[in-house]
Amino acid sequence: MLRIEEELKSQKIEIIESERIHSDELYLTVNKEDFKTACLSLHKLLKSAVIMFFAEDMRAQSKVFRIYCVFLDTQNHSWVVVRTDLSEDALLFSSLAKDIYSASIFEREIKEMFGIMPQGCPDLRRLRLHDEVWPEGFYPLRKDSVLPKICAFLGSYQFRRVEGNGVFEVGVGPVHAGIIGPGHFRFSVVGEPIINLELRLGWTHRGIEKLLEGKDIFAGVKIFECISGDTAFGYSSAYCQAIEKILKVNIPLRAQYLRVIFLEFERIYNHINSLGGIALDVGFSFPAQFASLIKERLLQLHERISGSRYLKGINTVGGVQVDIEDNKAEIIRKSIFGIQKDILELEKMLYSSTSFMDRVDSTGILRKKTAQDLGVTGLAARSSGIALDMRKVFGGIYEKFTFNIIAEQAGDVCSRMKVRFWEIKESLGLINQGLEKLKSVVGTSGVAGGLPGGGEARSLDGVGIGCVEAWRGMLRVWCRIDKEGRIIRCKIVDPSFHNWEGLSFAALGNIIPDFPLCNKSFDLSYAGNDL
Amino acid sequence: MIEKTFLIIIQAVFLVILAPLISGIIHKLKNNLRMRKGASVFQPYYNFVKLIAKDEVISRNTSWIFRATPVIVLGSVFCVCFLLPVLHKSFFLGPLGDMLAVIFVFSLGRFFLALAALDAAGSFGGMGSSREVFIASFAEPATLVSIFVLGLNCGSLSPSAVASLEGWRFSSLLCGSALGMVALAETARIPVDNQETHLELTMVHEAMVLEYSGRSLALLELAAHIKQIIFFTILSWVFFPCPVNAVWGWAWFIIKLCIISVFVAVTEISLAKMRLFRVLDYLGFAFLIAILSAVFALIGM
Repeated sequence: MLRIEEELKSQKIEIIESERIHSDELYLTVNKEDFKTACLSLHKLLKSAVIMFFAEDMRAQSKVFRIYCVFLDTQNHSWVVVRTDLSEDALLFSSLAKDIYSASIFEREIKEMFGIMPQGCPDLRRLRLHDEVWPEGFYPLRKDSVLPKICAFLGSYQFRRVEGNGVFEVGVGPVHAGIIGPGHFRFSVVGEPIINLELRLGWTHRGIEKLLEGKDIFAGVKIFECISGDTAFGYSSAYCQAIEKILKVNIPLRAQYLRVIFLEFERIYNHINSLGGIALDVGFSFPAQFASLIKERLLQLHERISGSRYLKGINTVGGVQVDIEDNKAEIIRKSIFGIQKDILELEKMLYSSTSFMDRVDSTGILRKKTAQDLGVTGLAARSSGIALDMRKVFGGIYEKFTFNIIAEQAGDVCSRMKVRFWEIKESLGLINQGLEKLKSVVGTSGVAGGLPGGGEARSLDGVGIGCVEAWRGMLRVWCRIDKEGRIIRCKIVDPSFHNWEGLSFAALGNIIPDFPLCNKSFDLSYAGNDL
Repeated sequence: MIEKTFLIIIQAVFLVILAPLISGIIHKLKNNLRMRKGASVFQPYYNFVKLIAKDEVISRNTSWIFRATPVIVLGSVFCVCFLLPVLHKSFFLGPLGDMLAVIFVFSLGRFFLALAALDAAGSFGGMGSSREVFIASFAEPATLVSIFVLGLNCGSLSPSAVASLEGWRFSSLLCGSALGMVALAETARIPVDNQETHLELTMVHEAMVLEYSGRSLALLELAAHIKQIIFFTILSWVFFPCPVNAVWGWAWFIIKLCIISVFVAVTEISLAKMRLFRVLDYLGFAFLIAILSAVFALIGM
């Protein structure tokens, strides 16, 4: 940690306050003028993309807006947060976007939600509050914002335009033919090859971050489970982790094991679904049906062990509400054995088909450098040669498990497929290990740990970061709660947030009919991105 | 003479009525092969009845081409029905056209469909047209050469001569397989196109008819079914050459078509759709096979 402070001091940056709030969270308060240089030097030192970058309205407490920029220090397994205060009469800071690309969509978000101006940011278009609907000057995440009475303004969105002989635009969406979320894709093409792709998302913006403000910490779990239906468990885990950190709760060992097991279940069923989707998108329908069969069996297994097909209602602050008793463990073992065989079968089916492999090989290449610059995480990053997995970085309970992560170098659809198969197998291993370990903690203090000191538990306030490696990638939640146990501000970053940008670069140079395949190989969330 | 004309009309109507069933059978087979129940084999008829009763939405920006196209496309394939002897080798309007006419009448329909897709100025229609014409420009040479080889083997390009091929010849089987590959492309099937896809960006034939609804769509779908049955009919002559008996001709015909349907369904299940530009290799290969079969035909194999 001293390394970081020395580095900043050598840059003549004055650190007003350096505070280690939790063992893995270092907060550095700097002057507004030093904010940019501090972020740039941390970015260089830690070789980390901007993980989170957000603002908080603290006018009630100290008449300021505070902005936070979070980096990941993989060496010390820690988050490094740079924060600074902006006084109410000068709501601007110098933009990082030109130096750190991964900051740019965050800056657009800050501008749109708080009206804080990132000076020098090349792109200030709104992300989620579409100009056609929401008026200028409506900043919903300010504490005093009022919902405008009329919501229909005829602004319009400027797409990047590519001009030239034979270049034309193809707009697709937001409504698509399949049962997927809404998103608008604007292709600029010359014949079939794509020379520019721009995404316009935000159609499912539900104001989750605003909705969470003032909610009780237990009520928050239910909202988190609904942010993105396919990552219900990942979201609730990340949230609970953040709150438990703030409340300084140590959840029982058994509950920790159970969280590992359920998170891996979520990973497996979603990976299977994506693999089936890849096959379906190239018209290879037999394996697609086979994959959906495996997925359905997994969902039914979830229902038998937890009562919920999509693993909702399991997590709670302080532990889990569902236990896997010995008889359930036996059911899981039996089903997993069959599922494992079917997955190998599916793998054989796909890899042995020449016509299928021809489609996925070298399609939709995302280069490593691009992925790093964009801040792409999770599976997509691991397929492009970035071996980053939060389960390995922060360890915790995962230190008791043996599993390996794989990094493919090619970055094409085929790599993403390979990584999926690899992760499914590792997840099955993790579940088996978890079931073994559950035996050793039988009977100890149940699964849902009480909050410390009964009713007084809620007297703790503060901030904390929760992060899990969900099936798509690094899922991040930053939360501040007050002494009554209410959420004051919550910032959520879905892995899709950066990975969508990755997709728009991966598609370049491919032909239009290959785009759905690239898209499916990333399998990103609209709801998680739009919040 | 009047009796014969009457029989030819009956035969054409028979083809039109049978056509959707073949699509239904292929669809049912595909679904059963991939562990699904699938819709009834009569589903294409239900779809037709449903669509024909519906109103349609026509873009204000379209011209007469958009409205005329469904009729022209259906009309062109319907014409072809009169040119082919299906139930008996004498049941066709011989003087009106030979096998080459069949191909070029199809091209007329395709030309108008490609124009109509551009007419509505939607981005998908344009993509569909450009892809369809791209595919057709490689499919047609292969079809033409195959038809010539059949002509060489029968000594005439008259459909009646081709329909009464006797026994298998190596060269006709070879050009038959080229024709089979082209037939998959012409009927918008995997590995060239995918009829079942919901992905508008990958469509070829479906993208062209995307703007159509109601009655027009019903006509276009019926035309696609008829075009398919005509291709399958020609294939059945090549692969199952047996003398056609006027009384039981229709039964033999249906059995032959069913065998071809099974082949198509199995092919569709076991392959992924190929990349768009790979279609060039595929149809180029079909063309090569056709040329090769011409060589074999010339040396009398």
